[in-house]
Amino acid sequence: MTAWGLAWRTIARSPARSVLAVAGVTVIGALLFNMLLLSRGLLVSFRDLLDNAGYDIRVIAAQGSMAHRPPIADATSLAEAIARLPEVESIAMVRTDLGQVSAPGVNAAWTPIELIGMTDSKGGGWTIVKGSPLPTGPSAGEPPVVVNTTLASMLHLEPGSRLRLRLTSAGSASALPLVTVRVIGVGGFAFEASGDLNVATTMAGFAVAHGTPADRQAEMVLVASRPGAAAPALAAIARLRPDVRVLSNDQVMAQFNENAFSYFRQISAVLSSMTLAFAFLLIATLLTMSVNQRLGEVAALRALGFPRRRIAANLLWESALLVGIGGTAAIPVGGVLAIILDRILRQMPGVPARLHFFVFEPRTVVLHAALLALTGAVAALYPIWLATRLPIAATLRREILS
Amino acid sequence: MRILPPRLPVRTVYPIIEAVPAVNRARASAFAAAFVIALAVPAAMAPTAPDLPPMLISRQLAEQEHLHAGDTVTLAQDPRGTRARQFRVAGTYEPTPDPMRFTARRIEARMHLPDLMAIAADPADPAASESLSAINLRLKHPEDAVRFGSALNARAPGLVVRPTVRARDGSDPFAVLERFHVAVATVTVLGSTAFLLALMVMRAEERRETIGIIRLIGISQRSILLEVLVEGMLIAVAGALFGIVLAVATQGLVNHFFQWRYDTALVFVRVTRVIALQSIAVSVPLGILAGLAGSWALLRRDVLALVGR
Repeated sequence: MTAWGLAWRTIARSPARSVLAVAGVTVIGALLFNMLLLSRGLLVSFRDLLDNAGYDIRVIAAQGSMAHRPPIADATSLAEAIARLPEVESIAMVRTDLGQVSAPGVNAAWTPIELIGMTDSKGGGWTIVKGSPLPTGPSAGEPPVVVNTTLASMLHLEPGSRLRLRLTSAGSASALPLVTVRVIGVGGFAFEASGDLNVATTMAGFAVAHGTPADRQAEMVLVASRPGAAAPALAAIARLRPDVRVLSNDQVMAQFNENAFSYFRQISAVLSSMTLAFAFLLIATLLTMSVNQRLGEVAALRALGFPRRRIAANLLWESALLVGIGGTAAIPVGGVLAIILDRILRQMPGVPARLHFFVFEPRTVVLHAALLALTGAVAALYPIWLATRLPIAATLRREILS
Repeated sequence: MRILPPRLPVRTVYPIIEAVPAVNRARASAFAAAFVIALAVPAAMAPTAPDLPPMLISRQLAEQEHLHAGDTVTLAQDPRGTRARQFRVAGTYEPTPDPMRFTARRIEARMHLPDLMAIAADPADPAASESLSAINLRLKHPEDAVRFGSALNARAPGLVVRPTVRARDGSDPFAVLERFHVAVATVTVLGSTAFLLALMVMRAEERRETIGIIRLIGISQRSILLEVLVEGMLIAVAGALFGIVLAVATQGLVNHFFQWRYDTALVFVRVTRVIALQSIAVSVPLGILAGLAGSWALLRRDVLALVGR
């Protein structure tokens, strides 16, 4: 009989014990799988959001960061200069401010919103689900706006609806104008959090809302480079103005990875280590107890001529069977658990609704299998040592006497 | 010596009622950024000048720029030195740990409000010197926070008035994190229970013959069950206590690691009495039940089968 066959029979001999041990490995393995998903989930998901926004370079003021973006002076000229670069395909300018909107009624309640001024609502993370995107050229009459779906359903807005808008920013003129805007589209913004209320308008509309002439400023210039020209475009834009920072998607990711996401990465590292240590202790204890119960059996096999290698292989297979069956079952269980945990964490305020904390990647399954296999192998070392170093005669004598 | 004059906190969170009149985020950010650059690049060291306006700097900023109390620093709006002014470093302070921003480097300073205005306010904007980012209030009767906020909003539309206490609807980030940790703990307990049951079943199997002999002597099943119960309870209590001692011993390690990693005084892990009691309340009954479940099958078996006859 092979070592594998013997290990299988040993496990099948005590079904209750084996089922419980496999169940334990399954649950712990599922937790480990989840922590591995969490370690890279935010990165993968955020990268996906950035890439799908349609721009691969972001230009911000030199003193700012992606979270705090002071306005870039004379951003319009900068954007025009960037657009003229041969490596650049398209650009968009973005500004944000806080304001309030209400339906055009005398006593209608005011709803706080974030106003986004932009030159392109076709890309930049916006998906128009109803109506049309913002016009690229100047528009006559009331400033056109695109509202997000949450605000549209809250205020029952459709393309053609009108809204009263007022800003609450202290950076605006002291006597804030009340502006009536025209809804031309309803859409979703890739980076909006659940419950966020966003209103996007043109840069001209943004200036009208501020009651000031257009000041040619922007918080960020989004740039889409031509295929294969990202690095030269990055260098060319950086040469244009010394007072701006030019960031590729990789650099934006690195910033978020360093600051915003590091907590979850480290929590996942701590919990993964603890889970592995836990799995090691429990598998090692189970196997050691199992060997202790079978000392006479092991001594008899050795006396019959079984080499130490086969005894070791038998225990290793036993560990591999427990970890293998449990680890395989852990993948679907972990998948279900990941959905539950992801749902919990996405309730965090300010987290983009399309961002996920747990994202499946094939490499996670490979890493999970490798870590569990290593844990199983290391956990089997002590019981193997115990079984192979057994004094055969003394053990058999003790067994007969007992 | 740490001196705390009346000041405008550049970035601080106060645990009191906060009224935020029309936040000028762009201006605040621009100033904060220029402020850091001005400190980092053209910081002019000079002999102590007690007549200069005082300012406090965060420990992190002091370490980064090697500044000490008594040093003179120049602050300006931008690296070109627009509206530059000199200040005397009156002392350093440890920024109030802020769980919402613990990953951010606390490169910040505090100074008298007129001093800040002299640098930050735009002379071309007549409203700039009267513009603030936020006003923090401490109410005489904190329970009136909601009513006070509504009254203030009615008098000055456009203000955002929000209490600084945690929202009770479970939507704040820490309530979410707590739910996440509880879910992870529940899964861990489930896994441990399965392993514990497996170990108890093995342990009961190991004692099969002993229990058979005890029963042959005449000891009742009830007495054996009681013994198993007491034994399980002792093991569970010992295990729970060991777990708590281990958690208390390692909480310092976890805190030191995260405090070092994020350069913050924030406490990440704290084993409180409530948490310790919760752990005992969960683990002891589980341990007893696992012991009973493991031995139950053995006790129901025929006594002769137990001794192999």
